Amino acid sequence: MNNSPKEQSNSTFIPVKHLETIKVFEKKSDCDIWNAFNKGDEMAFNYLYRTYVHKLFQFGSQYSRDSSLVKDSIQNLFIYLRKKRGSLGEVTNIKGYLFKSIQREIIKNIKANTSFEGFEENFRESHFQLEVSPEVSFIKNESEDERKIQVQQALNQLTTKQRKAILLFYEEELSYKEIAEIMNFSEVKTARKLIYRALSSLKEFIKPTSY
Amino acid sequence: MSNYTDHKKYEDYEFEDFLSDEFFVQWVKSPSENNLHFWEKWLISNPQKRGVVTEAASFVRSIQYKENFEFTDEAYIEVFENILKADNHFRQLNTISPTKTSTTHTKKVNSIFPVRGIAATLLVLFCLWAQYEAFNFKTDPEPIAEIVLVKRSNPAGQKSIIDLPDGSRIHLNANSEIEFPKEFSDEIRLVSLKGEAFFEVQKENRPFLVESGNAKIRVLGTSFNVKQKTNEPLYVALVTGKVRVNADNGDQVTLNPDEMLVMEEGGKFYKTSFDPLGVTGWKDNYLIFKNTKFSEVIDKLENWYGVKIAIKGHLDPEWTYSGVYKDEMLENVLRGICMTSGMNYKIDKKQIILTNPK
Repeated sequence: MNNSPKEQSNSTFIPVKHLETIKVFEKKSDCDIWNAFNKGDEMAFNYLYRTYVHKLFQFGSQYSRDSSLVKDSIQNLFIYLRKKRGSLGEVTNIKGYLFKSIQREIIKNIKANTSFEGFEENFRESHFQLEVSPEVSFIKNESEDERKIQVQQALNQLTTKQRKAILLFYEEELSYKEIAEIMNFSEVKTARKLIYRALSSLKEFIKPTSY
Repeated sequence: MSNYTDHKKYEDYEFEDFLSDEFFVQWVKSPSENNLHFWEKWLISNPQKRGVVTEAASFVRSIQYKENFEFTDEAYIEVFENILKADNHFRQLNTISPTKTSTTHTKKVNSIFPVRGIAATLLVLFCLWAQYEAFNFKTDPEPIAEIVLVKRSNPAGQKSIIDLPDGSRIHLNANSEIEFPKEFSDEIRLVSLKGEAFFEVQKENRPFLVESGNAKIRVLGTSFNVKQKTNEPLYVALVTGKVRVNADNGDQVTLNPDEMLVMEEGGKFYKTSFDPLGVTGWKDNYLIFKNTKFSEVIDKLENWYGVKIAIKGHLDPEWTYSGVYKDEMLENVLRGICMTSGMNYKIDKKQIILTNPK
């Protein structure tokens, strides 16, 4: 009981310490950060939450537009990870690991709410939509606009799998190894092939007319 | 890593080969000392590949999710709280004391001493608050007449979007600072600005007031751009809705859409039209030069990318530059500028040197 005032005074320096630690963690490898988290370092947890929670929400929302479902899934994932501290395995790429985990959690929760066939159908139609931002290199002209529309049409023809891989590769900057893991491919080269094929089907649209 | 540093590997690469290369994507998306050094060097020894590399880089950057799902500040804190609360059931006080690793006995203690549980909850809540403040705000909020003020600022090279408690949104430009109460009062929504911001104000009964320099800008629901830099006039450009600007000396101006107010430091002011992309494009990551004087080009680049630019050689004071870039790498912008001006550039981390060979 007389613990509380002591702890209170202890905690007053946390914000300062916390900011310093964020800086420290930014320079550390994923392996080290994960180990620190596993050992119960609260600053490591803060760093993980702050760094990845927005990304997880964006990624998770590709599966479900139900934002409270995605939110709950993120919450459950972190609660689970915190509970397992001390016995977590090695993680060399935190983002890849968290993406794979949140995907599992969200699909589990969607399945609990709906029939699986319905979900599978839904997955094919609408998830992982991607688009090309209106990138303007120099002053844009009409033919540039036209090409953009063509590229968008070409992108629309990609399969959900291809779109997902492309988003993970370019937008999320994950490596082929992580993409293979997230997409449950047993071999890394399957991810490489998937993206290469998607690119070739886009090639005639995205390849510049001259350079 | 060893194959990445192999210069020869990329010599025969074509568009799709670059696009499917991890190290290439890494350089485009997250330039670091390591990859910058490699690719700068590689491009110098393979100048014929510059075109294809630029095109490929531009494609990589243009890929994005079609829809953005934003994790709101409220959700951020709510989920964080819930995670720690759940944790509290298992570990109790250990949450803030990582050195104590024994966890098995805490449940029992909890049931015998409920007060300790309450203290722990209070403590966790306090830490949450403290961490939330530390996460989100550059400075601690200062209580002024019981109003907690929130201050957010951006250094050069960084922009941000801030959602206000009333649903209004502020795009804050680089080198700018904004201050607002954590909760708006019942009568008024007041924010103060140093630098440049684009406001999208949620329409409601309480007026929205922006204090900037010596002026107050009063609106209901509208979108507009405010720019106030030291030793420069105040610019208020209205996109939609209606705003009223009150200067300290009592002058008052009402703006209609597509009108811009320019107010000199002495209080003199005039209205003018403006080019919407040129004035507000920055919030959508458009870097725009329109007959821009060289000194302004330099200022803009330093501000936009957070770099320092030094000039060597003679400069024509009459020289101006026009160009539009979106989400572009510094290197590409410099290339564009140097192409039309005949200058050379050199990038050394955050230091750029522009040389006029003539």
